Amino acid sequence: MRQDELSHAGRRLLDRRSFLQHAGTGLAGIALTALLSKQGLLAAEKDHSPIRPQIRSQAPLAARLPHFAPKAKRVLVIFCSGACSHLDSWDYKPELIKFDGKPMPGSEKLITFQGENGNLVKSPYTFKPRGQSGKYISDLFPQLAEMADEMCFIHSMTAKSNTHGPAENQMSTGFTLDGFPSMGAWASYALGTECDDLPAFVAIPDPRGVPQAGPNHWSSGFLPAVFQGTAFNADKPIPNLARPAKISEQAERSTRDFLKFLNNKRLEQYPEDSELSARIASYELAAKMQLRAAEVSDLSHESEFIREMYGVNDANKTKASYARNCLLARRLLERDVRFVQLFNGSYAMGEGVGNWDGHKKLKEQYDIHAPVFDQPTAALLRDLKGRGLLEDTLVVWTTEFGRMPMFQKGASGRDHNPKGFTVWMTGAGVKRAFSYGATDSFGYEAVENITTIYDLHATILHLLGLDHERVSFYHNGIERRLTDVHGQVIQGILA
Amino acid sequence: MSSNLRTYSAKAFGLGLCLLLAGLIGGEVTCVAASVDKSKLPPAATKAADFIQDIQPIFEKSCYGCHGPEKQKGKYRLDVRETALKGGDTGPNIIAGKSADSPLIHYVSGLVEDMKMPAKGDALTAEQIGLLRAWIDQGAQWPEASGTVAVGSKKSHWAFQPPKRPAIPTVANGRWPRNPIDSFILAKLEQNELRPSPPVDKATLIRRLSFDLIGLPPTPEEVGQFVKDRRADAYERLVERLLDSPHYGERWARHWLDVVRFAESNGFETNTPRPNAWPYRDYIIRALNADKPYTQFVLEQLAGDAMGEDAATGFIVGGPWDEVKSPDVNLTLQQRNDELHDMVATTASTFLGLTVGCARCHNHKFDPISQTDYYAMQAVFAGVQHGERPLRTKDYEQRKQEAEKMEQFLAGLDEKLEGFEPLACMTVNGQTNLPLRAPVNARRNVERFAPVSAKLVRFTILATSNLEPCIDELEIFSAGENSRNVALATNGATATASGTYPNSDIHKLEHINDGRYGNGRSWISSEIGKGWVQIEFPQTYSIDRIVWGRDREQKYSDRLATNYVIEVATEPGKWQVIASSQDRKPYGSGSKIEADYAQTLSANETVELHSLLQQAEEARQKVKQWNTRPTVYAGMFLQPGVTFRLYRGDPLQKREQVTPGALEEFGPKTELTVTTPEWQRRLALARWVIDPQNPMTARVMVNRIWQHHFGEGLVSTPSDFGLNGARPSHPELLDWLALEFQKSGWSIKAMHRLIVLSNTYQQSSRPNAESSRVDAAGRLLWRFTPRRLEAEPLRDAILSASGKLDFKMGGPGFDLFEPNNNYVRVYNSKKEFGPGEFRRMIYQTKPRMQLDDTFGAFDCPDAGQIAPRRNSSTTPLQALNLLNSSFTMQQAGFLAERLQRDAGADAKAQVRRAFRLLFAREPSSEEITRSLKLIKEQDLFTFCRAMLNANEFLYVF
Repeated sequence: MRQDELSHAGRRLLDRRSFLQHAGTGLAGIALTALLSKQGLLAAEKDHSPIRPQIRSQAPLAARLPHFAPKAKRVLVIFCSGACSHLDSWDYKPELIKFDGKPMPGSEKLITFQGENGNLVKSPYTFKPRGQSGKYISDLFPQLAEMADEMCFIHSMTAKSNTHGPAENQMSTGFTLDGFPSMGAWASYALGTECDDLPAFVAIPDPRGVPQAGPNHWSSGFLPAVFQGTAFNADKPIPNLARPAKISEQAERSTRDFLKFLNNKRLEQYPEDSELSARIASYELAAKMQLRAAEVSDLSHESEFIREMYGVNDANKTKASYARNCLLARRLLERDVRFVQLFNGSYAMGEGVGNWDGHKKLKEQYDIHAPVFDQPTAALLRDLKGRGLLEDTLVVWTTEFGRMPMFQKGASGRDHNPKGFTVWMTGAGVKRAFSYGATDSFGYEAVENITTIYDLHATILHLLGLDHERVSFYHNGIERRLTDVHGQVIQGILA
Repeated sequence: MSSNLRTYSAKAFGLGLCLLLAGLIGGEVTCVAASVDKSKLPPAATKAADFIQDIQPIFEKSCYGCHGPEKQKGKYRLDVRETALKGGDTGPNIIAGKSADSPLIHYVSGLVEDMKMPAKGDALTAEQIGLLRAWIDQGAQWPEASGTVAVGSKKSHWAFQPPKRPAIPTVANGRWPRNPIDSFILAKLEQNELRPSPPVDKATLIRRLSFDLIGLPPTPEEVGQFVKDRRADAYERLVERLLDSPHYGERWARHWLDVVRFAESNGFETNTPRPNAWPYRDYIIRALNADKPYTQFVLEQLAGDAMGEDAATGFIVGGPWDEVKSPDVNLTLQQRNDELHDMVATTASTFLGLTVGCARCHNHKFDPISQTDYYAMQAVFAGVQHGERPLRTKDYEQRKQEAEKMEQFLAGLDEKLEGFEPLACMTVNGQTNLPLRAPVNARRNVERFAPVSAKLVRFTILATSNLEPCIDELEIFSAGENSRNVALATNGATATASGTYPNSDIHKLEHINDGRYGNGRSWISSEIGKGWVQIEFPQTYSIDRIVWGRDREQKYSDRLATNYVIEVATEPGKWQVIASSQDRKPYGSGSKIEADYAQTLSANETVELHSLLQQAEEARQKVKQWNTRPTVYAGMFLQPGVTFRLYRGDPLQKREQVTPGALEEFGPKTELTVTTPEWQRRLALARWVIDPQNPMTARVMVNRIWQHHFGEGLVSTPSDFGLNGARPSHPELLDWLALEFQKSGWSIKAMHRLIVLSNTYQQSSRPNAESSRVDAAGRLLWRFTPRRLEAEPLRDAILSASGKLDFKMGGPGFDLFEPNNNYVRVYNSKKEFGPGEFRRMIYQTKPRMQLDDTFGAFDCPDAGQIAPRRNSSTTPLQALNLLNSSFTMQQAGFLAERLQRDAGADAKAQVRRAFRLLFAREPSSEEITRSLKLIKEQDLFTFCRAMLNANEFLYVF
């Protein structure tokens, strides 16, 4: 590969490594080899050195080879912002029903996020066995519960923070602090995309607003901006996508022709300048994206059956909007967008009002949120399955942490609990109708096969054919990774 | 035989289960046993084993992967003396003097099933095991104490050596160099058989230099004058003019603000704005324009409060701050440690180019920075809190004195008014003929009663306006002459309470009678809606007045006690009610002045009351006025407590106490102790940073300057000069520049002058296929590498071209987001812009993590982490933004209007004007023809929109 085929960023990487190589550090030599030779890239199994994606500036998002054969070609993350209670949905705890109203042993002095807790309280939602597997799931999500046989539950997830912002940061970027690249950005950095006229990474915010950690969820952090997620949903298109009304089609064509003329003139004086030609290419790509993004967002050609299945015409406006977002997610995945984040729940607009933060009146609020979420999400899963997309699409449902088995003192809701909660997956590469790990008998703390967010991220990258220890980017003294210095692939859930 | 056996907890049994069982049977680990046949151990070596020479390399190669700084399998860590000798889950592994009994030797010899070590990689050779045995038998000498690092080869790293003045290289093409920079550059080019490019044409040069130094394009007139200026020093004059421009500071401040992660909101989910953070930005602009010596610049940013530059310490607290607080102690500690981490890591990366932040959990893996160093620096900042403090402007002292004077005057009036307060009435069940007293208010309430003897006074709250009740000060006055507040702790009184709000620095029981007002020195009950607080005097007093309030400073009005009872006693248990809310009007009901004070007033008394009330009201307004002094988000400073080293960075695992200080292995020693006043710690650290003995400081700064002139630093990792950073492309040049920097009195402008006057800087940017083959990236500087404008100069340049740029300097910024009052800030981009948003982009009120819809896509840093170097990516979204955003559409319209204004109705003249404004050159005849065709077929607006998207406009050549 020629150096000048690399982007500016890629060239810099190479340069820096060349200097290190001059300095005689072994690490650098390995990295360079990995960068330059595919053999080196595939061979060494024990090698933990970074594998640099080969990024061409004319097409920085062109599809790149993974480290090994992937199970998943694309990922859908469904994120319920606000900490959706595992104890009222997926994690069945008969002991919690038995000890309803009794104190949790050893919890007298427990001070959680909002302070003191009262007694154990069973879920207001009834748990029933579902599907052929008989998995107990509550009535909170009746339609999703019917999909139990498709799901692979991780009941022993743990988070590092018990406050929303940092915890949502961790779930999407691996770090509790602001400013780190999100997993979608890492995926598009490593793999590019097979769909060349849509963004590689799309975030679909809830109709009520952006999630609590806002754009951190789809930030490119210190990675080049080209890997940043593009945020839009069925109601709010990509900013500046459409040709302004003032510009006629003919004017647009003439503008582009003239621009091409100017840029080519300049390029004649700067032959082989990859950045200048990359910018010319980016205008061509933008034009393609204008057409394709408008097409993907146009739901009018979906059949009435499909629209009804999702709930697009529902009288509940929030639900109908979220349903359109679900449909948009399917259409994006269908067109091979690499990474899609679908959000349910928004920033705080009153405690538990816009999201799943059920501190004081959990049932009252969940009775509002669950119907918005349940049918459209279940329809999305069914639709993905029906179209065969689950064969090579990984779906991950998550939230930032769980909630306490007790109600808060003097309240009818549950406080934050990062010590144990549930995440589920379905689709490419994971077991079906399977449950992994467990919390204790009250659902307070993960005790069996304790899993971290690093492990979850390592697993997602693994299913994409990436070694999480080798996808890295040098920033301020450190080879930064999605999984920091942690993470192990959760072998137990792999199909 | 039994002495040859040793008992192990078998790994196969499952360590977790084993510990669980251990817990059940009382803490003793008595699991299944395994035995070792010591006769199978390889013999100990006969030589004297040296830890550094012989032992550490074995550990490094075979053990540290699982038992080192990152992982401690089995809770065993082998790279730190203390833990290595102490052992892990299974107890001690090294028994000094007894290698045959040391489990470590058993494991590495493969004699314990399931505990064969190393678990990964090759087994140790008999020779290696022999060395280990000899080392243990000889006493397991470990030369270094815990918390220090193996320095050795690390210290020989180039960046840790003092800069040496290099000889100016001799070059073959002796006529080319204009100053020593050129000699260094040319020497390297010649070594690589490369030649420098010819000088750039003057029009391109002035455009390059203008963007570079002031971040704005030259006007067509400036270009014309410069091109025509035949004087020998025309370029020098241009350089001086631009360096003297106030816009220079605006351009270069932006670079600095990237390095220090400055933003004007808190980050995290609330992302609340910091409306008073902008004075820091103004400080940077002023300091750069004034060419403050860099040493002074450093001192002020770390300790400006001690030298009359309050805003400068905005540096320390420029990072994110999680304002979501919780009674959960673990979370609170974690948040505080994250805040301090940001201060430590940013200080080190900014001024030293060192990643000290990496030593939070363990000794630095590459550089000679110990974990103790990290916590020594943390101790320097341990007294810094996020928040605003007064910005001491010139009239600050005067305003403060006026406020205090007026407060005293008001206190006198209040006392006089108390004489008019009706007595509290204690008739049972509210059966009273007297009119009700005024309702409670948050500022100040007076309870007057007939003199009564009291040793104890109890204030019991039965209901509040909301939440847990708060009282900022409870004052109890003695009756008669020389009345004084006998409740003060300084008068010997002690306070007790039903309970106090947990885990708060500002709400404490001792604040109830400390003589200081305001929410920041108040007591809050631990229970919602109730609680009591009691004052006990050292002796019995006759008292006749009690004064209390929620917040005398009138900033808070919540948490007000609305239903309360005050009782006194001369001995415990014999309580007597002396006042209550019973005879007050209900909280929130209106208050009528006449009715609220004593009812039976003479005409004169009524006049006096009204006069006093009016004076008091005026005085209150004046106090407020004098107290409204500007503040700045530049940190609050308090004397800190003790700092400890935290094992693995975990705030719950405190280890030894750490003295504040700088990095042990660099520069001079700092003379700090655990009792050094807070500000002196920061000042001492700053002095250490700028000490000429410190090898990093000058190099790091000249490299930053170089980077922004050429697009790439001599060291391409500008905030990491450590072993993991990049090597300099021209080490001698870097040293030469660092020494010149010091010699110039640390003048940043002198460095600019030196660099931009070099022939290296003035080379053409045209490519050259031959040179490209050798050095495509242009690291050896055989040409000036073209580069895209960053977001800010791009937006400024568009405004400049359209003629709409507002040059107003300084002060609060402009907002690109719609106003929003939700309690977590919601950021929606403004749809339309007006003159208010036409200032230079450095004055955009910059929220953290939230990028502008149009220019954010141009690699604008989000200030979540530091951005010592920006990416420069090319994306279709950039194209869409620049084509379709309401900003471009609007500005293209303004540009069209301007062209008509400047050039009249002649389309050809308009085209010429546009090329001069945007590209700083004349159009070719072909370009004119094509432009005219576009204008004719479409319109001038369409032409303008296209021109604003041209590569030639977006790039500096």
